[in-house]
This record gives sequence, structure tokens and C-alpha cells, in this order.
Amino acid sequence: MKVFVINIDKCVGCHGCQVGCKDEHCGNDWSPYAKPQPEIGQFWIKVNQQERGAKPHVKVTYFPVLCQHCDNAPCIKAGRGAVYKREDGLVLIDPDKAKGMKQLVDSCPYHAIYWNEQEQLPQKCTGCAHLLDGDHPISVPRCFDNCQVGAILFGEESEMDLQGTEIFHPEYGTKPRVYYRGLPKRFVAGTIYDPAAKEVIIGARCTLNSVDGKVAAIAETNNYGDFWLRNLPEDDFTLTVTAGKKTKILNVSTKEMDIGLGDVPLA
Amino acid sequence: MSKKSEEKSFIKGLGWCGFGVGSNSASVDVKDGKVIRIRPFHFDDEYAPEDMKPWKIKARGKVFEPTMKSLLPPFSIAYKKRTYSPNRIPYPLKRVDWDPNGERNPQNRGKSKFVRISWDEATDLVASELERVQKKYGPLSVLAQADGHGDTKCIHGPHGCQTKLLNIMGGYTLQARNPDSWEGWYWGAKHVWGQDPVGQGNQNNLWQDVAKNTGMLLYWGCDQETNTWGWSGQQASRLSYWFTELGIRSIYICPDLNYAAAVHADKWIPVNPNTDAALQFAIAYTWIKEDIYDKEYLATHAHGFDEFKKYVVGEVDGIAKTPEWAAPLCGVPSRTIKALAREWAEVATTIVHCNGGSFIRSTYSSEPGRLEICLLGMQGLGKPGRNQLKMIEWGLFGMDSQVPHPRAEVIPNASGAYNGMFSDMPQQFIPKTLIPEAILSDTQISWHGTTLNSSPREDQFIEYKYPIDDGGTEIHMIWTDTPCWTTCWNGGNKMIEALRSPKIEFVLAQHPWLENDCLFADILLPINTKLEEEDFSVDQFSGQFHQVFYEGQCMEPLFESKSDYEAVCEVAKKLGLYEEYTKGKSVEEMIQSGYQVCGIADKISYEEFRKKQYYVVPTAEGWEDDPAGFEPFCQDPESSPLQTPTGKLEYFSTELAEYFPDDEERKPVPQWIPYGESHSESLLHPRSEKYPFLIVSNHPRWRVHANMDDFTWLREIETCKVRGADGYMYEPVWINPIDADKLGIVNGDIVKVLNDRGMVLGGAYVTERIIPGTVYQDHGARLDLIVPGECDRGGANNLIAPGQIMSKNCAGEVTSGYLVDVEKADINELKAN
Ligand SMILES: Nc1nc2c(c(=O)[nH]1)N[C@H]1C(S)=C(S)[C@@H](COP(=O)(O)OP(=O)(O)OC[C@H]3O[C@@H](n4cnc5c(=O)[nH]c(N)nc54)[C@H](O)[C@@H]3O)O[C@H]1N2
Ligand SMILES: Nc1nc2c(c(=O)[nH]1)N[C@H]1C(S)=C(S)[C@@H](COP(=O)(O)OP(=O)(O)OC[C@H]3O[C@@H](n4cnc5c(=O)[nH]c(N)nc54)[C@H](O)[C@@H]3O)O[C@H]1N2
Ligand code: SF4
Ligand code: SF4
Ligand code: SF4
Ligand SMILES: [Ca+2]
Ligand SMILES: [Ca+2]
Ligand SMILES: [Mo+4]
Repeated sequence: MKVFVINIDKCVGCHGCQVGCKDEHCGNDWSPYAKPQPEIGQFWIKVNQQERGAKPHVKVTYFPVLCQHCDNAPCIKAGRGAVYKREDGLVLIDPDKAKGMKQLVDSCPYHAIYWNEQEQLPQKCTGCAHLLDGDHPISVPRCFDNCQVGAILFGEESEMDLQGTEIFHPEYGTKPRVYYRGLPKRFVAGTIYDPAAKEVIIGARCTLNSVDGKVAAIAETNNYGDFWLRNLPEDDFTLTVTAGKKTKILNVSTKEMDIGLGDVPLA
Repeated sequence: MSKKSEEKSFIKGLGWCGFGVGSNSASVDVKDGKVIRIRPFHFDDEYAPEDMKPWKIKARGKVFEPTMKSLLPPFSIAYKKRTYSPNRIPYPLKRVDWDPNGERNPQNRGKSKFVRISWDEATDLVASELERVQKKYGPLSVLAQADGHGDTKCIHGPHGCQTKLLNIMGGYTLQARNPDSWEGWYWGAKHVWGQDPVGQGNQNNLWQDVAKNTGMLLYWGCDQETNTWGWSGQQASRLSYWFTELGIRSIYICPDLNYAAAVHADKWIPVNPNTDAALQFAIAYTWIKEDIYDKEYLATHAHGFDEFKKYVVGEVDGIAKTPEWAAPLCGVPSRTIKALAREWAEVATTIVHCNGGSFIRSTYSSEPGRLEICLLGMQGLGKPGRNQLKMIEWGLFGMDSQVPHPRAEVIPNASGAYNGMFSDMPQQFIPKTLIPEAILSDTQISWHGTTLNSSPREDQFIEYKYPIDDGGTEIHMIWTDTPCWTTCWNGGNKMIEALRSPKIEFVLAQHPWLENDCLFADILLPINTKLEEEDFSVDQFSGQFHQVFYEGQCMEPLFESKSDYEAVCEVAKKLGLYEEYTKGKSVEEMIQSGYQVCGIADKISYEEFRKKQYYVVPTAEGWEDDPAGFEPFCQDPESSPLQTPTGKLEYFSTELAEYFPDDEERKPVPQWIPYGESHSESLLHPRSEKYPFLIVSNHPRWRVHANMDDFTWLREIETCKVRGADGYMYEPVWINPIDADKLGIVNGDIVKVLNDRGMVLGGAYVTERIIPGTVYQDHGARLDLIVPGECDRGGANNLIAPGQIMSKNCAGEVTSGYLVDVEKADINELKAN
């Protein structure tokens, strides 16, 4: 049984996976696996981008999403025989049987199915099954082959290290065969300085407490006066900054977004 | 359901440096003359690891080694978009209202349409025009624009094939390409540490040195998640991760949170565009004030440090270059400057670049260029972990001193099969930065230095003229194979004016795609792409293995296209110079001579090479013990001196003092020069009241300069283009939310970027990734002129870059860090125009 393992912490956002998928499927007819993907507009794998924080505490997270090849796939139910699961776990849409089945697009909670207006076809990632099965010069998915930093892995479930991985939207209950590392969690970051001395404060203690008082994260500022509190849930917090006799308490909320506080004076 | 796919695989080098300097080895799978896919190449297809001797760098208990698969960037994977582009020039074309026997209508260049003509008619016209112009005005009246990056072809050399024909015909005028990539190093740094030819640091064995010894990496104007793509693929991404894994801190100094900073930075220090000199001075000041710099080293390795110190502390102009002085200029808080300076003094620090970023291509770039070397010297340049590391151009010019990774037995070169580039420097030439001025001026012009990047430092002191005094003549015909001056150089709108000058009787362009300067041609010759050609190539930039390979022809040329070399051959035939031009050599013979001189002939026979189609050069024995960067100079400056007149780091340049004693814009000691006689592009200058933003114009993330702007698969990426309300895909303009609010601009709006030189449009991309007061728009967008010479929809901002050279005696370009205003555009109003 095949699985994908995607490490978001490693992804550099080069879009080599997304572009490689198009190189394989746009203009190439791999029937009976799939009809050609249109030139533009479909993303069988899509590198989503999230800009997080505020200047100068900004990070960009790239988040590749493809069909999750669910074991409990809503699209298979909606497909009435036009969508099938292979023995290796990959889920494919049969282009002959699925003609006209626009409702399949909405059946997928991951928005992984696209509508091909010209062909009147729902289309999506095939796991590059034609390459896995056929005698082509390459026998692995193109997105995996093109990921130069190893952010996308593909292989036999039994041979992959799945420890510490998560699935995306477990609440959908679809049992994905795509596993993730580093699914984005919130951060709070800032630079602490002493406005009178015009110096950054090194070694200031930054403690983040939940509303119930529990310590959610703790860090000390580095030689630039910076602190980064990572892997936080979406919640309301109080941030206590202490250096020597000085203390400052701020309310921060990660409910809507990551927090880049910028320069924080500690007077 | 296994079945034979009948796909055949070819090797192609899909890098964009050109000049025969290859990279990005790829496998191209072809079926029935159609290109199916392009994918990473496997070095171990025909060779065992023992044959290749893969290197291993070991440091801090961890190992870094090459992959067996080439690390292709997305551009190479998408290369077939180049071949199958709808913008291909299919046939020879002639401008409808250009009549060589009657009205030439130069004023209509860029306006009027083209008609199809045959190769026969086209080459007849070209041959007769060449003969006529050369007879009437002399051979030097033909300007060859014969430089430029782009497809890396060798036998079919994309740039320069025409110069060899023109040489046979008696000569020509060369467009001498300025050291565009390295301006600040070339015109500045060279006067501190020598380092001919381009002025960047020695790279020897620096990966190992950094891995073992460095505590902090300063990525100073460096985006190795962008600028590596055109040149060398994604080894730099792996390397950056490895350095982080080793616990080395990564600090990014740049106005924009560039693509590398976005994923690799431990800290982003935003700086105002082209104000790095202020920041650099404040660091030097902090070190001097707190006495945390390497005085023993300077005593033996520096010349004139005291002069420099006097300027820093304010003894020369009464201004102490304190962090508080610098903060409002460069936008970095004084406390951060001090923290940076102290950290740098405490831990071994290496500065990292691709080529330096736009501040080495702005006004007075010589200053930050040489200040960087001054700073490196103050902390003991060449001591373990203290050097200047490059993320691209590994092995530049085939020089071992430019190789930071473990050394291979040889750096292969394609010179034996290479037909591009001019061979001898012609008598008459014009710096590329001065072409519009040369054409439009009615008097002789002069400047210093040939400006060619291969020239030694002393060449900067020689004055040159156009037209030359002895037998010089003005140009009256242009033959370009590099038709992107307008979107790649300094002050494109002025170039448009020059291209429409009545002095220019004939503009001939050969190019694969109908774009940019092609619009201003009188005759266009259709050129093909790499997949349609048979060639010989090397991979020397990728940082894994060097290799040499045969490139088979994947498909028949589309339409009536020919290679650049073949196109010139067609013209040569009409002139009766074909035999002389080709020297009777076939493509097969050129492949053979490529093999013979590339450096592997003693390692593998030609037959075996052709059978296997490639050869991987093994890693050299003993590379681990190669000295690192400036280590030899550091250890013994007397026996390993620098190439400067004193052999030392010249904080006071002895030669600038001698040759340009009165140059206020490049004094013997580096200065802070926000504006001056040549330029007013600073927020401190009154012109900024009208144009209150500085523009950063980087090398494009989703293009290589003018190349690939039409790749549909890239254009739909969020940061590649912004879809305007009118459906048009605009070149993004990054604006900080604070500025956007003030200007009433929201994400996706169409905006004008303008100054007194014209206006270009863009699509607003409102983001925390850019600082207030600065906007950022990549360079090289495909021209889409609304009013030629005034207004462009494509976002080709070079059109409105300053036309003047970098400073009085430095004929470099200024293409970033200049003043603009930004306004929300009213699309209906624009349509009405
Ligand atoms: N704003 C701004 N401008 C800059 C810079 C900047 O930082 N900011 N940087 C500067 C630098 S460093 C550089 S190197 C220059 C780049 O400037 P150039 O080297 O001039 O740019 P390229 O677009 O790489 O290539 C030149 C032309 O060659 C064409 N070409 C590609 N392949 C072929 C072929 O096979 N045959 C023919 N005949 N033509 C081909 C391309 O389409 C293009 O028109 O830009 C400079 N301009
Ligand atoms: N994808 C892609 N790769 C390329 C090219 C390309 O066009 N596209 N061109 C190739 C060529 S010819 C060259 S010369 C190299 C160029 O390599 P570089 O000179 O390194 O490239 P740039 O894009 O000019 O600038 C790099 C970074 O400098 C920062 N920067 C801009 N202005 C300033 C400033 O004023 N101060 C500071 N501190 N930082 C600043 C920006 O963050 C920018 O991302 O890239 C090569 N590789
Ligand atoms: S991700 Fe969507 S399309 Fe893919 S298997 Fe699950 S439900 Fe079906
Ligand atoms: S497995 Fe193949 S079809 Fe699916 S996203 Fe990757 S490249 Fe595209
Ligand atoms: S190829 Fe890999 S690194 Fe590049 S965007 Fe895709 S997952 Fe990320
Ligand atoms: Ca990351
Ligand atoms: Ca003139
Ligand atoms: Mo360059």
C-alpha cells in the first residue's frame, strides 16, 4: 500500500512538484488512467502559500496539497463506480465512466478534484499510476521525483517512517494516505529592547500563559533581543516579558493569525 | 498492465547562463517526435559510484554529500514551454513599412506590424544591407549586440555567432557588456582586495570551511531560493538546510523578505534599498568604538586603515558614522546594528551572496561593494570560517579559485565546440550601458574602462571613446541576437528612442520569441530552442558532479526555425563566405573537438563517451586539504599577497588616489554617497518629494531576466503574476500594508509605478514581506507597450531606471534602488488612452 509523506518544514516553495505534475499531465493523454490536464487552472498538487507574522518577524510556509487517496473516500461514494481504489491504495477517477459527473468536484472535502469544462470531466491526481505500472523511463510520481529537498516522499507504507506524522483535517474522517510533518501551528515572536539604553535586551524571559494560567511556551531572547514561541495552538494568551526588575505583560491572541510583535520596549 | 512505452531519453543541459557554461543536466523523454517529459538526470545510469568518487563533507558529526540525481529547478522541468511557446517566431519576418529601397520609417519601429517572408528573401535582404552599409559608412558602422544569457547552447551558441562573420567582413562595433552581475565588486571591491576578474572573493573549499568553523552566516542581499534557479538548480537549498542543521545562525539583510529568507532565516534585518553603506559604516564604527576588531590582522594585512578609521569616526567630515547616524538612513534600529556588530565580532562570520543583490547594481555601488571587504578585513578575512561565500557561479570562468565545493579532477569546458561570443576585442566598442547615449549623441562620447568583465583592474583607468579617433565611424545598422536591452538594461525608454533614430537604417534581430526589442526590428530571423538542436555540453555549475555530455536532437525544428549558428550560416552563404565562416566543419566534427579540449579526453575514449553519452568527472583526491578561501593570504600576506598594488587590503586605494584624485563619487576611501553629481536617487534628495518610494528590482523569481515570462505554468503561481480586474496578468508590485493603506490600494489593484522617465503598470501585492517606503517589482517582464517610450503595461521597470552610468568614472548600470511614485491606476482612464 502506497503513501505520501510531506514535510512542510522542509518545503522551500519551489513549486517543482506542481510544475512537474503539469509537465507529466498537460498535453499528455494517459488514458485509461487520466485524460490530459488542461494547460492552466487545475492543480493536482497545489503548493499553497501562507505568509505569517508581521515585519520583521515574518515567515512563509508552503503547504503542498494533493488528493489524499483516502481509504474512506467520499468521492468513491459519490462516484457510483466511476471512482475506484486500487490495490496499492491509490484512488483514481475513471475518465470514461466519470464523464459529466460534475458533482464529484464537491464531493471532495480537500478540494482536490477539478472540473475540465472542455472534456466534461472531473479530474485529479492519479498518483502517477501510469508511471508506477508502465514501462516508462521513470516509475515514481513526478511530484516526488522533482522534490529536490526531500519534502515529498512516496513509497510502501510498511517501509516509510510515519512516526510523528499527522494527517490533514482528521475531522473529515476520510482516512488519508497522505501523511504530513510540520503542519503549521501558530507562533508569537518579537524583539525586546530597552528604550533608554537604546539596546536590545539579551536573555529576557518570555512566558506565554493560557487563560487558565498554564504555561504554553517559554523562551529567552537571543543576542538580537529576539524570541520565538512556536508550535502554539489557536488561542488567547498573556505574554509576560521579564528582564532584571522590569516586567511587561501583553495580551496576545493566535486565534486569527500568527503574531509578529515587532519591537517591544521594556521600560 | 505493463507495456513498453517506446519513450527515448536524451540528455540536455537546461541552465540559462549561456556562454557555454552549462548546468541543470536533465533527461528529456521523447516519443514520436513529441517531448513527453523533462526530469532529473541520474548520474549513476552508466557509472558506478566508485567511478565518480562522490565527495563527503563531514563536520560537527554530520555529513553532506551529492545526490545521484540532478537537482533541477522548476524552470528546467517546464522547459518544453519554451519550445512550444505561442510566442515563437515561426518564419522570417519583415516590418511592413521598412523599405530598403525607399522609406525606412524608423519612427514606426515598435508600432508597425510584420509580414512573413522566405529565408531566401530574408537572407538576400540581410546580405545586401550589410554590404551596402559597410560600403557606405565602413565596417565599424555595424553594431553587434552579441552578448546575453539565455539557453546554454554551444555549437549553436546563442550569442555572438554574427561577430565571426562580421570579422571576416572587415570588422564591426561591439556592444561591450558591462560587468552587470558584479558592478559593485568590479568597480569597488577590486580596489580593496584585487580579485580579478570580477571582484568577488576566493571560494576555494568554503563549504567545508563554513561547515566546520562558521558561527554566523550573513546572507547579505542573497536569495539562494531564486538566483540559483537560472544557474545551478537546487543544491543551494540543500546546503542552506545543512548549515542550519549544523547550528549555524542565518541572518538575512535585505529590503524584502526574499524567498530564501522566507524559509531559511533565523533573523530578517530589513534595510532600505541601497543604503547598505550606512549600515556598514555603523558596524565599523561600533567595532572601533568598542575596540572589538582585529588590529593585529590589520597591522600586517591592511594598507591605509587609519584613513578609513578617520572617516568612520568623523575626523574627515565631522560626521561620526554611529549606529544612531545610520539608523534613519538605512532603516535598521541602532540597537540592532550594535547587536549585529557585536555578534559578528564574537563568532566567526562569513558573508553569503549569489551575486550581491541589487545594491551592487545601484547608484554608487562601488561603495557598499568595497565597504564589505573593509568589514571582512576588520574581522580577519581568511581566518577559519571568515570569508565571502557564493551560492552561484561555482567554478566561474573554469577557475578553481571559484569552486567552494569539493574540487573535481577537472572543470570541464565546452570551448572546443562553442561558436558564441566574439573572439578578439574589436577596435571600436560601446559599453552596453551607453548604447542609447552613443546613438543619440551627435558628438563623440568617452568613458573609462572597456567595461568587459574579463578586464583587469588597471583597465578601469584607461579612457576610451566612441567613435574612435582613428578610423572610427558612427553605427548605422544593428545586428542583435540579444533583443532585450529595453527590459534588462538601464533606462529602456531612452533605448526605445535610440532604436527609432533615423541614424539606424537597419535593425536585424534573430530570436526564438517575438518579444521586447524584437518589436523594434526591421527583419526578424526565427531561431529554435535546445530541444530542436544537436549539441555538446558540460555541466559545471550544479555543485554535485561536473559532467560532459552529448545532446541529441529531441525533435525536428518547429516551423522554419534554425539555430543561431545556422542562421548566420545562411547569411554567410549569400555573401559567399560560408566555407570561410564554417571552416568546413560539420556538427559532428565540432562535437569531436568539443570532446577533445574539454578536459576528459585522457579519461574516456570518444567512442565510449558517445556510447554512454556522458562522462562524470570524479572528485579530486585530497580536496579536503585545499586551503579555504583567503586562508593563504591570512596566514602569510607576504608570500600570498592580494593582487592590489600593495598586495594588502587597501582601505585607502593607492590607484584611485593616483588616477582619479578629483572624483567625488569614488574617492580613495569608501564614502557614504546618497546622491551626487551623477544621481539624485535617494530619499534624502528633494526629488523624493515627488517620487517618495525606492524601488527594489531583483532578478525575477519566476524568470531568468527576459526569459520565460510566457510560461503558463508559472504565471498562475501566486507570486508570479497578479490578475487585475481586467483579467490581465500584471507583474506584482509588493507594497507594505501601511503604504497601501495610505495610497488607498488593496491587494490585486492595478498600480502605476512612475517617475520622470516614464511609467510601468503592475499588480498590487500587499504584504509584510516588504518594508514601508519601498516597493518591489522583479525585473525583466515582457514589454507590453501602451505608448512606446512612455508607458508599459507589462511591468518592464527597466524602462524607467536611470539612464546614467553608476558614477562618473564607473560605466556600470543602475537598475535598482531608484526613486518612483506609486499610484492606484484607473483602468478605464488607461483604456481611453
Ligand atoms: N532591474 C534590474 N535589471 C537588471 C538587473 C537587476 O538586478 N535589476 N541585473 C542585470 C544582470 S546581472 C544581467 S545578467 C542582465 C541580464 O540581461 P541579459 O543577459 O541580456 O538577459 P537574458 O534575458 O538572460 O538574455 C538575453 C536575451 O537572450 C535571449 N535568448 C535566450 N536564448 C536564446 C537563443 O537561443 N538564441 C537567441 N538569439 N536568443 C536567446 C533571451 O530571450 C533574451 O532576449 O540584466 C541586468 N538588468
Ligand atoms: N531565477 C533567476 N535566477 C537567476 C537570475 C534570474 O534572472 N532569475 N539571474 C542570474 C544572474 S545574471 C545573476 S547576476 C544572479 C544575481 O544574483 P543576485 O545579485 O544575488 O540577485 P538579485 O536578485 O539582484 O538580489 C538578491 C537579493 O538581494 C536583496 N536586495 C535587493 N536590493 C537590496 C539592497 O539594496 N540591499 C540589500 N542588502 N539587499 C538587497 C533582495 O532580497 C534580493 O532578493 O542571479 C542569477 N540567477
Ligand atoms: S482527497 Fe478527495 S478526491 Fe482524493 S480520495 Fe479523498 S475525497 Fe477522493
Ligand atoms: S502523483 Fe502524479 S498526478 Fe499526483 S500530484 Fe504527483 S505528479 Fe501529479
Ligand atoms: S517540490 Fe518539494 S520543496 Fe518544491 S514546492 Fe514541492 S514540496 Fe516544496
Ligand atoms: Ca520552513
Ligand atoms: Ca553619436
Ligand atoms: Mo548577471
